[in-house]
Amino acid sequence: MFRALAVLRVVLIANTVGLTVFRFDNFTHRGLGLTVVAVMVLWTAVAIWAYDDQRRRVPALLVADLAIAFGALVSTPLVKGDGFNATVPGFWIAGALMAWAIHWRWAGALVAATVLSATDLLIRPNITQTNYGHVFLLMIAGPIVGYMCGSLQRMAAERDRAERAAAIAEERARLARAVHDGVLQVLALTQRKAPELGGEGAELGRLAGEQEQALRSLIRQQDTLQTPESAVADLGGVLERLGNRKPPVVSVVTPGVAVDLPQPEVAEITAAVGACLDNVAVHVGEDARAWVLLEDLGDRIVVSVRDEGPGIPEGRLEAADADGRLGVSESIRGRIRDLGGTAELFSTPGTGTEWEFTIPRLPLGSSS
Amino acid sequence: MSGDEPIRVMVVDDHPMWRDAVERDLAAAGLNVVAVAANGSEALARFPAARPQVLVLDLQIPAPNGVEVTAEVVRQDPSTRVLILSASGEQSDVLDAVKAGATGYLVKSASREELLDAVRRVALGDTVFTPGLAGLVLGEYRRLLDAPTDDGTPKLTDRETEVLRLVAKGMSYKQIAERLVLSHRTVQNHVQNTLRKLQLHNRVELTRYAIEQGLDEE
Repeated sequence: MFRALAVLRVVLIANTVGLTVFRFDNFTHRGLGLTVVAVMVLWTAVAIWAYDDQRRRVPALLVADLAIAFGALVSTPLVKGDGFNATVPGFWIAGALMAWAIHWRWAGALVAATVLSATDLLIRPNITQTNYGHVFLLMIAGPIVGYMCGSLQRMAAERDRAERAAAIAEERARLARAVHDGVLQVLALTQRKAPELGGEGAELGRLAGEQEQALRSLIRQQDTLQTPESAVADLGGVLERLGNRKPPVVSVVTPGVAVDLPQPEVAEITAAVGACLDNVAVHVGEDARAWVLLEDLGDRIVVSVRDEGPGIPEGRLEAADADGRLGVSESIRGRIRDLGGTAELFSTPGTGTEWEFTIPRLPLGSSS
Repeated sequence: MSGDEPIRVMVVDDHPMWRDAVERDLAAAGLNVVAVAANGSEALARFPAARPQVLVLDLQIPAPNGVEVTAEVVRQDPSTRVLILSASGEQSDVLDAVKAGATGYLVKSASREELLDAVRRVALGDTVFTPGLAGLVLGEYRRLLDAPTDDGTPKLTDRETEVLRLVAKGMSYKQIAERLVLSHRTVQNHVQNTLRKLQLHNRVELTRYAIEQGLDEE
């Protein structure tokens, strides 16, 4: 910001020098007048150099800046005699005022503006409306500029902080990827080699396998992380979490990109899939395997849950329904029906059971 | 084509313990490990002299990465088969590798028998799918449908979609053949076609991009 001020100072001094040349006739003491202008030119150069480096922006510099502006103002009656209209420095004093505003914000600007305004008024034998107008502007504009400098600097600092945080998060994610990959490699290797060690090796291998699956599912969920208050959720990411459960051992297959649905729908579908998996655990056993497939067909989504158990004999669910046992019907069919979808069951004894949910997809808000 | 000659395999992985384990397993099963490499540049430097039939490739390797190595190796010798062995699961880079020309994909936690079986099948020209990869491929075709239509955009036939969905649901080719009353070979062909179309489309897209960018004047 002091860079911008340097430009302003050059413009101001050029203005003052120009006006001095133009109104040289007004000067009663020309030698003194030239000296004052020379000092101002010199100080402008010194100030531009001094303010350029943050280390040189000490209070003494700002006080000197204001003192010279003050001195230039005070010299006016001596240079121009009593009946002057414009002061020798004219608008040049704004340089010092702005320096105070930038450095000490609105409070500094208020002090500098008060000093300069008071001086300006005190050296004049009579005060015109124009003089008052200038002073008023000085008093108002100075603190406002100071206040805005403060906000700007705060905003810049906040932006820097945010950028730094983002960079750190990105670097951390990059490191995490490398670390995760290494861990996955070792877990996979352990899983493969441990059973050959005999004894407890098999157990070790099984544990490594479980951890591998848990970590992999975590990584995939992170890829599609959503804020908790978000109205939509990625069904794929949520279904992935079912891959951590056991029994049954579940493989979750997704399209590889987020399948965003309203949060409540995601919860219902996940609950229905969970109910299917519970059934697999109960009816097929501890070592059962199950596969969940999620497909996004644009206007609808299809979720399939398959197992390789004994299957459900035809008519058994209907019979259970008729008996008033609503377990499967309500927890699976009911949920999907409430979403306007259909839940179909394909099962033949010996080849397992397969649920297929087809759920119509309403346009999400205004986004799609 | 494998005949009595052992299959020539090259193993590329930056993890020494893992690389050694895979190399040992393959050698113990009578396969011929003609070269190993720890990163992409080593792999590309050793590939022309080693002339492997199958490249067993980790995707997360020091640059050039597995996808780039796949593309370059297949470009140099289209008869080379690339089997991706990935630790991090079914991510978009697996799909990229498949589009670049890989015909097999296995997660690292697969057992030794699964690995050997995959290498042998890939060497024969079969494609080795996981359910996860089938899901990614289905998703990719779906996205291509939504993209601006164009005559070259590949589409799945109904049969191919059906087969791929069953693969994604965890069924083996044998189970799928029984369910759809097809021969094992036919199922295999359908699966293979889904990849071939994506790979062809990918090459066309790359060429088009190169022409647009004026990179074809080499």
